[in-house]
Amino acid sequence: MDTSAVEIRGLTKRFPKFTLGPIDMTVPAGAIYGFVGPNGAGKTTTLDLIFGLGGTDGGTIRVLGLDHVRDEVAMKRAAGYVSPDLNYQAWTRIDRAIGFVRGFYPTWDDNYCQTLLSAFHLNWRDAIATLSFGAKTKLSLLLAMSWRPKVLVLDEPTIGLDAISKQQIFGELLGMVRDGERSVLMSSHNLTDLERITDHVGMIKSGRMIFEGATSDVVERFRMVDVEATHAAALAEQAGITVQETEGLRGRVLVDQRQVSVDHLRARGVTVLSDGPVTLEELFVALGRA
Amino acid sequence: MVAPPKKLLIGPLSAAGPGTLYQQIVDGLKREVSEGRLPPGAPLPSFRNLAADLLVSVITVKRAYEELEREGIIYRRQGLGTFVADAADARSREVKKAHARELIQHAVREASEAGLAHREITDLLHEIIIAEGDAVHGHKRR
Repeated sequence: MDTSAVEIRGLTKRFPKFTLGPIDMTVPAGAIYGFVGPNGAGKTTTLDLIFGLGGTDGGTIRVLGLDHVRDEVAMKRAAGYVSPDLNYQAWTRIDRAIGFVRGFYPTWDDNYCQTLLSAFHLNWRDAIATLSFGAKTKLSLLLAMSWRPKVLVLDEPTIGLDAISKQQIFGELLGMVRDGERSVLMSSHNLTDLERITDHVGMIKSGRMIFEGATSDVVERFRMVDVEATHAAALAEQAGITVQETEGLRGRVLVDQRQVSVDHLRARGVTVLSDGPVTLEELFVALGRA
Repeated sequence: MVAPPKKLLIGPLSAAGPGTLYQQIVDGLKREVSEGRLPPGAPLPSFRNLAADLLVSVITVKRAYEELEREGIIYRRQGLGTFVADAADARSREVKKAHARELIQHAVREASEAGLAHREITDLLHEIIIAEGDAVHGHKRR
């Protein structure tokens, strides 16, 4: 049995001006999953819904096989959520915030908490109000990681962090999934970093999932191709083609090789001038702006 | 005895380096093997541990290990771990030779397309071998 860390099926949520879904999402056990999408695509809404922040209008959400509403308590014992909205200021000092959160979780690991404190350069007695923005983010992460959740969900964990802090956090996340049983689902705009450290990636746009899969498979599936054709703009009609630019007979198109091959374009009388790979970031821009 | 390096097991992985990160892991481990720093039978870290040490995804290391396994440079024993294969060194050289052949083929094709005569191509190759002489020498095994 290989229960997914998170399994979302047909999730729908309607707002007056925006509809999320229906979306499917699968975070395999043991994976680090990068959840990407343009601002306002529905990433935070999706993550919030997993943790019951707001009701759904359809679909199912399972975390480690547990229904997120029916088995809420068991699920919240296994899954932690760190959102940028968390604020521990009320506990005034790091040790008090730790003491508070620690009390809720029988699985709290004091040694690991200590390791994270030194890795993140946080001090037991620091006043929370004096912490930098980045240090506050690290504190939120520490409070969620120290009870060793099986599934850790992070909304923009590296927003506003310097490159050194980012690398530290990614290092800790990779360390966390070392045992192959823990999983991380995180939304982020750090596409270069995500391409390096995630096993899986999913992109949503306007509330719909537009691709999902193993990061390397997804990135290799797409090619950026420059073409010359008597009807370059008409290529937009072809499934699997996203036109990026056209200038006269020239066109630059993103090709989803799962739907159409570059050879197929040649066979249709299109002259291929260049054909190259894309990075996750380039893929994001190519699909996100269209 | 000095513990084998973890984070420094292979040279740095960089987006600015040649090839994809997974290719850089393959090349890096091959270099360690062909230069004798990872002898036959030497244990390799689990791919999850190596991923955390190199700060890359588990899938990237897994893929690199799979390729090295296919090429007969490493082998996996269920429950025991991953090890450098006997004669990995020779296999690594075979694979490198095949790759070098491909690159030279490509270079010759380019040169022909540029209108260079056979003689000019061999002269060019010769020139490069001499210029690279020191580097090549420095890379001689032990």
